[in-house]
Amino acid sequence: MTKVFVSAVINAPVQEVWSQVRDFNNLPEWHPKFSRSHIENGLPSDRVGCVRNFDIAGGGGTIRERLLELSDMDYSFRYCILTSPLPVERYVAQLTLYPVTVGDKTVGIWTAEFDVTDGDEAGVVKAVADDTFGKAFEILNDRLGRKT
Amino acid sequence: MIKVYRSAIIHSPVDTVWKLVRDFNALPKWHPAIATSEIEGGLPADQIGCVRRFTRRRDGGLLREQLLSLGDDTRTFTYSILVSPMPVANYVASMRFTPITMQHATFAEWWAVFNVTTFAQQATADDIGDNVFVAGFAAIDKLLAGRKEAQ
Repeated sequence: MTKVFVSAVINAPVQEVWSQVRDFNNLPEWHPKFSRSHIENGLPSDRVGCVRNFDIAGGGGTIRERLLELSDMDYSFRYCILTSPLPVERYVAQLTLYPVTVGDKTVGIWTAEFDVTDGDEAGVVKAVADDTFGKAFEILNDRLGRKT
Repeated sequence: MIKVYRSAIIHSPVDTVWKLVRDFNALPKWHPAIATSEIEGGLPADQIGCVRRFTRRRDGGLLREQLLSLGDDTRTFTYSILVSPMPVANYVASMRFTPITMQHATFAEWWAVFNVTTFAQQATADDIGDNVFVAGFAAIDKLLAGRKEAQ
């Protein structure tokens, strides 16, 4: 089992960051690594169990992920991969936002656990940790962060 | 019951922060409001159930707090107040320290749940949140930043 843990400060209030990331269908709207997304079978994107179907930008293939848990109270959601070009199995990831009361900022923590089934484990970890999670936090801070 | 929650960024790596705060007897080393501390009965400061006996700087007020849980992998500990000059009862508090990987910093959280026995509840909650929790975070940050510069 491989574990990935990425965390970052986002210089914006937690409610602002949450309203950007809460919609399970809008990842490509703000994350440059991804393009096109729809929720399968026309379900609402906050209906637990719904499946998002989206592409890796530049013809990198299609990913399908199922929403396992969504909590407005904890600013958190958890999901698993159903289909992916990455050689992974039993992939479960969770994003949680925490309020930083001193300074009214946000800490985002994004974790994943999975088995790498083929090839280069370090390459898969980099694709998840740096190119997906780390990049997401950079983009969120660029978009929403107060410039101080 | 009333709940107080405060959190802050400490600009030092989590292992450095945890090494300082893990010691249940170390309050005078980092918290500006605390003058002295000892563990009763000469117990190790990481023995669950041990009691720290410490005094406030401003008035010498005595507090006794008992360690209820300590986790090195989660970098969390929980304690309860046995004796305090503050008008509180059933007071249980936790501190948790989480790595911020992209900034090599630490996310520090401190929260408490308790009853207030006299006095305006909110004033007591603000006093604990700001003068205990936030003052403590600022002191850790300053103390460790000073060490970094001294190296």
